[in-house]
Amino acid sequence: MKKEIPLAITFISGFLLVLALFIPHKPFGNLEEIFNDWYIIVSGFTMLLGIDSLLEYNFKKIRRKEKDAPYSLILILSFFLTLIWGVTEIVRTPEHNPFSPTSTFSKYFYNSIFMPLQSTMFAILSFFIASAAYRAFRAKEFNSALLLVSAVIVMLGRIPLGQGAAPYVITVIFLIFAWYFYAESVGITETGTKLLYILVAVAFIALIYPIGWVYLKQHIPSFADWVMNVPQMAGKRGIMIGIALGGIAMSIRIILGIERTYMK
Amino acid sequence: MTEFFKKLAGIDRRIIYLTVFLATAIPILTKKTMKIEPLPEVKKAYEYIESLPESSIVMVSIDYDAASMPELQPMLETFLHHAFRKNLKVIMLGHWALGLPLGQQALEDIAKKYNKIYGIDYVFLGYRPGVAAVIINMGKDIKSVFSSDYKYTPIDSLPIMRSVKNYKDIKLLFGLEAGAVGDAWIQYGYARYNLPIILGTTAVMTPDYYPYMQANQVVSVIGGLRGAADYETLVGIPGQASIGMLAQSVIHLVIIAFIIIGNIGFLVLRRAKK
Repeated sequence: MKKEIPLAITFISGFLLVLALFIPHKPFGNLEEIFNDWYIIVSGFTMLLGIDSLLEYNFKKIRRKEKDAPYSLILILSFFLTLIWGVTEIVRTPEHNPFSPTSTFSKYFYNSIFMPLQSTMFAILSFFIASAAYRAFRAKEFNSALLLVSAVIVMLGRIPLGQGAAPYVITVIFLIFAWYFYAESVGITETGTKLLYILVAVAFIALIYPIGWVYLKQHIPSFADWVMNVPQMAGKRGIMIGIALGGIAMSIRIILGIERTYMK
Repeated sequence: MTEFFKKLAGIDRRIIYLTVFLATAIPILTKKTMKIEPLPEVKKAYEYIESLPESSIVMVSIDYDAASMPELQPMLETFLHHAFRKNLKVIMLGHWALGLPLGQQALEDIAKKYNKIYGIDYVFLGYRPGVAAVIINMGKDIKSVFSSDYKYTPIDSLPIMRSVKNYKDIKLLFGLEAGAVGDAWIQYGYARYNLPIILGTTAVMTPDYYPYMQANQVVSVIGGLRGAADYETLVGIPGQASIGMLAQSVIHLVIIAFIIIGNIGFLVLRRAKK
């Protein structure tokens, strides 16, 4: 019965909600609204479950004197400090709001501690992104070279200095590619292939002016827009459709009781 | 010689961090703004807001927190200036509980500058848990979800809310998105109730909303710090986003320089191995 009752609830709720979409008349018509009201209420209670789980996990760490116990202690102290301070302000302020203009919670806690800490944590990402871009964008093969070039185009196209910098950046990138293909051709003995490599190298040099100094200098923002609007969006749309189909399949499995991992 | 290229291919991350720090901090400290040509999608958003008749009711959704504040707060502030200048009425709510005070503070500060009155010209509804359920139910009846505002004032007693029943009475939703709540607004707010939506998104989230924009399921998307700076330029109130443009330009060029240097080292070493 421990499994059968939740499975039955899931099946009936899921089935009724699907049915309600096709029959917009009572008693089915307002079923979705009722279920949504219940969902909002249950969502509120999940917060209590989250708090319970968080505190239990961290108290356990302290009891066992684990390596990270001091961090758990800080977390628990911060949790109760926030809770007590917030509740005090609800009672104390005339507006009964911890974020009212007269609230010390808002002034000293939210604005002076929480906001700077959260912003700092996110700002640190810029350092990692720069370091990761330096290491990840390597022209190891054709696909990665394509990714690299697209990334550079979008980065240039989205900044006000992009149009001015584009010709120089493209010159350097094309010279690197030209040198690479020429260097590759040196070790090749077969005349046809050698010639092809040299031609590619020459093509890169020949394209510097028309692409870098004429086309991109004028059109780098629209070219970046094209990258975003065509290849990027095609990929994104494919992923989104895939996710949606996966979601539908998973929902059907859950409603029919085939997928039961949510009960564990 | 090989040693030199090895160094190019494997620059110490501390050097990268220091360069990033200087490339960001110095331009921001100079507080210089740059001439910006606004992106077409931001122009479209601006023109849509401009076309709204006076006293139209617009809804603002705060779906971000302090982590995304540098990108989204300038968008919010510019939008509030734009809305109050045009005498639009603003209803604010949010789905990120920790970010709501950011919206509330900006709303109160900017409303004061335009002598707007709480309950008549603007209202702050606050937060309710359950994103999709909240959006769907508000489409039927806002009062079924928010029976009172954040001060526990029944919304029936607020003049601004007397003429609002559901999304039919809202002329625009301006959603500030640092996550997936924007999807819920489009999938339920637009798809079910035809709610016109403009999204202000963080740069990382922007590509996610391009398919919706191409399908005309959102009016437009204002993306990242650049989008915020464009919007500030169009509204004519250069602020933090415009100041950040120089830093963003410099840091993009620095990252491109690092990518090029890394590739020179990598390709030369690969040739040498062969």
